[in-house]
Amino acid sequence: MAKRILITDDALFMRVTLKNILVQNGYEIVGEACNGAEAIQMYKSLKPDLVTMDITMPELDGLSALKEIRSIDPAANVVMCTAMGQSKMVAEALGSGAKDFIIKPFQAETVVEAIGKALAA
Amino acid sequence: MKVEYVSPFANAAIAVSESLLKTVPERGDLAVRPKLFTSQQVSIVCGVTGSIEGHVIYGMSMATADKIASIMIGQSVVTFDQIAASALAELANLISRNAVSRLAEQGFKCEITPPTILRGSNVQVSLLEIPALVIPLNSEAFGMIEIGMSLQDRQLAA
Repeated sequence: MAKRILITDDALFMRVTLKNILVQNGYEIVGEACNGAEAIQMYKSLKPDLVTMDITMPELDGLSALKEIRSIDPAANVVMCTAMGQSKMVAEALGSGAKDFIIKPFQAETVVEAIGKALAA
Repeated sequence: MKVEYVSPFANAAIAVSESLLKTVPERGDLAVRPKLFTSQQVSIVCGVTGSIEGHVIYGMSMATADKIASIMIGQSVVTFDQIAASALAELANLISRNAVSRLAEQGFKCEITPPTILRGSNVQVSLLEIPALVIPLNSEAFGMIEIGMSLQDRQLAA
């Protein structure tokens, strides 16, 4: 059965791009959240195998959402999506239980590798 | 408006273009304008806050916007819809974040605000009464992006 993924990003373009890459590589996209608060709600109701999490978002940022999701489910698989120059936040995310991170602009192979590793770990 | 703020943005735009649009644009000649404005059909505005503050406008023609969005989305953009607008906003966001991390290496700590897309020509953004520097980037793949910057030290603004 295809692994179920929840995408979190405030930018429509990023959600569409990630969705295309992941669907083409055999993953199922179970939901698309536009901010951290939506991601938490959708995590609870959809119970995905993995969450991709943007860092800078309105309402609730990706770091706070990551921490909340990990407190709901300590085994949650979360991969951060970040722009260049956010290394402090990446370090904090990894310290808070994120499995890996992808730096934008990303290539399809990088995304597939990071998601595959996070799900295998 | 110091010239030293120009290169981080120009180099960031070239680097992001190389990885995202698979083309390395050429830097054109720097121009000075008394105020920050854009006569381009599509403009993406990012605010800069922190030790440097002001605005950066990425301006381009509708044809260039369509070409860039088509490259980013991976299929031809027929109508400039929400996804195309979101792609251009993301491009501006990535260039600005890349530039801000280059500025941090020079000791300037700043953040950017989320991009705003303006459509329609002759838009004037006159929030700061400081001259603007404009640098064009040309590429055979997408045409020309004009980066207009109106930035100043926080201390000078206070």
